[in-house]
Amino acid sequence: MQKSTIQFLLINCFLAIVLVSCGSVTKNYTPKKLDKTSYEVPYFSDSKTDYVYKTNIKVYGNEISGIFIAKKINDTTHRIVFTTEFGNKLLDFEISDNSFKVNSIVSELDRKILINTLKEDFRLLLKKKYLIQEQFENDSDNIYKSKDGKRDNYLFISKKDHRLEKVVHSSQTKEKFTLTFTSENNIFAEKIQIIHQNIKLKIELNYFKSE
Amino acid sequence: MKTKIALLILFISGNLFAQEQKMTAAEIASFKEDVNVVSKKIKTLSTDFVQYKHLDFLSKDIETSGKMIFKEPNLLQWQYKKPYNYSIVFKNGKILINDEGKKSAVDIGNSKIFGRINKLIVGSVSGNMFDDKEFTISYFKVKGQNLAKFVPKDATLKKYIKQIELTFDKEEATVVQVKLLESSEDYTRIVLKNKVINAKIDDSVFTN
Repeated sequence: MQKSTIQFLLINCFLAIVLVSCGSVTKNYTPKKLDKTSYEVPYFSDSKTDYVYKTNIKVYGNEISGIFIAKKINDTTHRIVFTTEFGNKLLDFEISDNSFKVNSIVSELDRKILINTLKEDFRLLLKKKYLIQEQFENDSDNIYKSKDGKRDNYLFISKKDHRLEKVVHSSQTKEKFTLTFTSENNIFAEKIQIIHQNIKLKIELNYFKSE
Repeated sequence: MKTKIALLILFISGNLFAQEQKMTAAEIASFKEDVNVVSKKIKTLSTDFVQYKHLDFLSKDIETSGKMIFKEPNLLQWQYKKPYNYSIVFKNGKILINDEGKKSAVDIGNSKIFGRINKLIVGSVSGNMFDDKEFTISYFKVKGQNLAKFVPKDATLKKYIKQIELTFDKEEATVVQVKLLESSEDYTRIVLKNKVINAKIDDSVFTN
């Protein structure tokens, strides 16, 4: 009798933990009536601007630094190049909402899993327009939910100055990765972080102006 | 009017052709001799540099700049100061990196490719690369300057660098520009200036 009670308690505890950790991303936010049905991100949208960032990538304890370059080459597509400080090209992608092309990649980085991860990260980073289905809020932000296939994106827009500060890419149950933006003028972002929750990968971008 | 335009085009293209002229065998021999004499004298070398990263799809080259210091036989520091601080030291089979104060080290003792890169950088800056069996070299004269083009023979190296072009000041026989071509459209151009040869440089400079 006692044994089965303990078992029952254990199972209950286990269920409780699973249920808590399965809780939706929005559990701490208050639902709100939709005030817009779409949102356009300004940060990588100008086809005349060369977006150049000093970059630091931390992956499972290893660090790589270099220069991240993004440029809008037509209405739908961005070109992305990552070079070392010396200028050697490490990778060169073309990416849009529904297309992806590897122009070149050095053999050391030519791993399917890495390319797919970066593809997902960069696609979200450069995404221009989000369609919104639900809205929430917390003290500081309006939070917009946008469907992305089987997953969702949550856009955090500050109530104070209406700037996109964060995008959380999430499955039904948990956050996969997060983009954070720091922007002075709401035209481009000076500092960007891409942080993965399920793998040890963090990409930090710091905008720099050529001399 | 048409003749004028035709003449203008002829003049411009004529000029373009005049810019790069192949050296004769005798000119090559004398140029190599000049560079070798100078580069043999180099015990230390420090120079400011400006690096222009050219990617065909960008509207402007990415410009970074800093200082390079070399001391015989193989101490090398490459230091970016603008628009960020990033310095890399090649020393005793190690690469020491200081990225805005964040320090790291890579042991390259057995890495052939880094050994090559080290040799390549030192060779590029001192100009002493003509004996290198790894390249096919061609020689040109450009207005007041000499130009040597190095095409890697090795397939692995060729994947990273299509061609290296070293431009030499005619009088001083030292390198004034290094151009690394990744493809026909994309390259890195490094302009060297304020070069100081054989000033006293302490080993302690090569710490990071």
